[in-house]
Amino acid sequence: MEVNQDTITHLAHLSNFALSDTESQSLKTDLQNIIRYISELDQLDTGNVEPTYQVFEMENVWRPDEIKPQDATPDELLALTAAVENHQIKVPKVL
Amino acid sequence: MAILAQTTNFVARTQATLEKAHRYQEKYNIFVTIDDEGAIQKAQELEQKAQAGAKLGQLAGVIYAAKDNFLCPGSDTTASAKILTDFKSPVTSTVIEKLNAEDAILIGKTNLDAFAHGSSTENSYFGPTKNSKDLERVAGGSSGGSAVAVALEIVDFALGTDTGGSIRQPASFNGVYGLKPTYGANSRYGVVAMASSTDCIGFFTQTAQDLDLLMQITSGQDPKDLTTLPDFYRHDDGFNDPIKRIGIIKEFDNDAVDPEIRQAMAQEIETLKNQGHEIIELDMPTLKYALATYYIIVPAEIASNLARHDGIRYGFRSADSEDLMSLYQNTRNEGFMSENKRRIMIGNYVLSSGYYDAYYLKAAKARTMIIEEYNQAFKQCDFILTPVSPNPAFKLGEKVNDPVAMYLEDVMSVPLNLAGLPGLTVPVGKTTAGLDLGLQFIGPRRSDAKLINFVANIKEKN
Amino acid sequence: MSEKTNYIPTIGIECHVQLKTQTKLFSEVDNDARGKEANTCISPVDYALPGMLPRLNEQGIKLSIRAGLALNAKINLYSRFDRKHYFYPDLPKGYQITQMYHPIIGEGYIELPSGKTVRIEHAHLEEDAGKSSHEAGYSLIDLNRAGTPLVEIVSMPDMHSAEEAREYVKELWRVMTYADVTHGDLYNGNMRFDVNISVAEAGSDTLGTRTEIKNLNSFRSVERAVEYEVQRQIKLLNKGETITQETRGWNDATGETTSQRSKEVAADYRYMPEPDLPPIQLTEETVDQEQQTMRPMPGWYRTELGKILGKDIIEVLLDYPPLVSKLAELKDDTAIKKIANLFSSVLLAEENASLLNDELPSVTQLSNLVEMNTNSELSSTGMKEVFLKFFDPEMHYKDTRTIAKELGVIQENNLGELEKIVDAVLTKPETQKAQEDYKNGQEKVLGFLVGQVMKESRGKANPSTVSEILKQKLQ
Repeated sequence: MEVNQDTITHLAHLSNFALSDTESQSLKTDLQNIIRYISELDQLDTGNVEPTYQVFEMENVWRPDEIKPQDATPDELLALTAAVENHQIKVPKVL
Repeated sequence: MAILAQTTNFVARTQATLEKAHRYQEKYNIFVTIDDEGAIQKAQELEQKAQAGAKLGQLAGVIYAAKDNFLCPGSDTTASAKILTDFKSPVTSTVIEKLNAEDAILIGKTNLDAFAHGSSTENSYFGPTKNSKDLERVAGGSSGGSAVAVALEIVDFALGTDTGGSIRQPASFNGVYGLKPTYGANSRYGVVAMASSTDCIGFFTQTAQDLDLLMQITSGQDPKDLTTLPDFYRHDDGFNDPIKRIGIIKEFDNDAVDPEIRQAMAQEIETLKNQGHEIIELDMPTLKYALATYYIIVPAEIASNLARHDGIRYGFRSADSEDLMSLYQNTRNEGFMSENKRRIMIGNYVLSSGYYDAYYLKAAKARTMIIEEYNQAFKQCDFILTPVSPNPAFKLGEKVNDPVAMYLEDVMSVPLNLAGLPGLTVPVGKTTAGLDLGLQFIGPRRSDAKLINFVANIKEKN
Repeated sequence: MSEKTNYIPTIGIECHVQLKTQTKLFSEVDNDARGKEANTCISPVDYALPGMLPRLNEQGIKLSIRAGLALNAKINLYSRFDRKHYFYPDLPKGYQITQMYHPIIGEGYIELPSGKTVRIEHAHLEEDAGKSSHEAGYSLIDLNRAGTPLVEIVSMPDMHSAEEAREYVKELWRVMTYADVTHGDLYNGNMRFDVNISVAEAGSDTLGTRTEIKNLNSFRSVERAVEYEVQRQIKLLNKGETITQETRGWNDATGETTSQRSKEVAADYRYMPEPDLPPIQLTEETVDQEQQTMRPMPGWYRTELGKILGKDIIEVLLDYPPLVSKLAELKDDTAIKKIANLFSSVLLAEENASLLNDELPSVTQLSNLVEMNTNSELSSTGMKEVFLKFFDPEMHYKDTRTIAKELGVIQENNLGELEKIVDAVLTKPETQKAQEDYKNGQEKVLGFLVGQVMKESRGKANPSTVSEILKQKLQ
């Protein structure tokens, strides 16, 4: 798999990065090398093996449907936010 | 020096520790924050408690540091990343809450590779932490600050996280014990996530016994982390069996491994044999795919977990962004380190449409095969002994610009993370140049108590 | 291409149903933010602080099972969660926890009142996003709704007209309220619809290019949007143009759909299994337990009540699940007919709208009411008056006869008593002229005389009986 400028542009878009040209250049090389390395996995025959996403046997772990006090209040949370108006999070316009 | 709960002089001891911390900080860059005020306040509380005759906790006056990816109020939690600068968590991580409840004193937050992405602590927004034995060399990582804080005996123990070796490798580079417990042993609640399916919370200590005490206190099911295991840390059946079968992985004994590490392995094998343990040779051919598997699964989870860092609700927000898209892109571009960006982009690559099956799904299947290989191995042996990394601490700057070379550092530490197994770094000596050497013992899932006890026993007998 | 080409529309609908749990899907925070200030129902989990992990609400699973049963669907005993990634300020984690690969609800169907069947492809459990409101130059984000449990129901493209689309969404709303999984409050966005529309020439075996109209929140807007979009697509095709696959917005004021132009390439959500939540493995017993507490679905009422009542009144009453279930408890056909009429003409009259929130009368109260009417003890007017008093906080606990007595509306049916009253009225001077007129053949004055008797009896007399007595006396 060849990593070209389009790949970098697409991945920067998915990742939400405004990359500079120099950064794009060095990332192109780095990602190419990394992808070449991880592609070694092609040599492993995984056949009909089931995938693993988690390494424990638990299932059905849930909680009762009851309101409880939380580890931080809404006001403590909003206090972390750079721009707040009318108790709402303020963000620049969506273009 | 082993952890010892104190009965008096909490404030004096804390003050002395803080002074030492500041002194070493200039030289080694260990801490992101030293919380003088919070530590002294806690020490004073303990003194009042003691004077009032109240019962003190199991860790009364024991001083510790936490990697700066553990949330706690009182100081910023930065994960050594610009994007989290100025983030003051109103929430306390479960593990810190449990330690504080036993009256341990937290003196500060230690340096790491930003978001724990790295094996050297060089990818920190606050600069690298230096190796405890050689200022020209890396501390290892990503929990480099915590390892050095314990190695220099500033603190009695330190908290770290291990996603692919981030506790065991810096422990090995600095001559201390480092435990990565079974996946799900300690709650991940309130710890900045790297890769949710492999992240583990563990410790750096100066003795193996300390790990036993700490695990008794911190492990257990947490309603705030649904992946925590119901109470499993027990000194039960077979805990004190004297003789063990120790597996050695043939594939890990090769020319890519530093001769001094191979020699240390040979010596440790001798010691084990002398103590009556049986050595078993293991064939584990799938493990050579573990690193590639890891660098597919983990970046995918990283790309996902780091999506929340967007400059909207907390942390760093890039100035003067006129529209939402530029706010996102500028904040994330300025806020993440290069290595963060590489991993996020690789993660988005392996998950993107058209590549999911070839990379992510394939890796998830390889993961099954790796787990199965360990299952087979543990039918033949009780624990496995391997090096932690192919070489001792390397020079600052030596690998930081070559991501694949840096990833290869992890080749012997990541396989067990994929399987959720406990691994314990044991200091075994020094290189001729005076660098620390450590090896790791690996056990089956849930064998943590036996593993710690075994390591404590071989050290005692030696 | 001729103007007369016959096009067949094909419509598939995705519906998001907000579940009526007490707390959100992944945090123990109040799930009902109606009327509450912005960002007051939020936790560190909803705010996506670093290190926060989802804490699954068991009731979300139970209500999903019920929703599945209401859709005649297979409940997948094994299910798990996935992450769907995209950046938007009302999606704090940068991903939505949903079920892409192993949804909890498998294939099902619902039968529409018209008899048509719409197949359900699958349905899954997921979390809602917050709300964005766009001001001049900036947007404001309220996360009260972020994390509300949703069941997303995905239909097969089985509908072929705007009417069918409307019928489907309405029936879906009914079925979900009958299953008791949602408040079903459309005004507050409890159910929202994304509609996929394409048209193809009649007889063609491939579907046309489809457009998607997102976020419709009423039955009417679904119907209108489909009508508009079908016409728009046909017009384009008739002009020889092609349809662009795209998302279009619906403007309720202008009645048009418009392209939501975006330079974005097709979204790539990078679905990934959710590592923070253990999988769900249900047992048949759990599913059976929910099945046993399900009330009958609208289709059952249609069949059962359809033996007694007309189609129209059934459809009206079906909008009010407690009313039909009360009707179904009544024993005989007459009672069902009479009470159904009271429900639709009295209780559902606009001026009585507030009463719908009150507890309904008991089966005994209603049966007695019908019985007293059948025995002529209550006129139909009297029956209505007593019926309304069933909702009076001062009266509702009393039995039917007591209420009727207190209201003084029990009709006098005793002939002897009535004759005495009639005689008394006939001796009164003011009735003499009317008596003369009646005897001379002016039958319409009888009404006046009946009125006088009713007045004398203070309304308790049964007017038809009075009329009979008068006729006899004046012969």
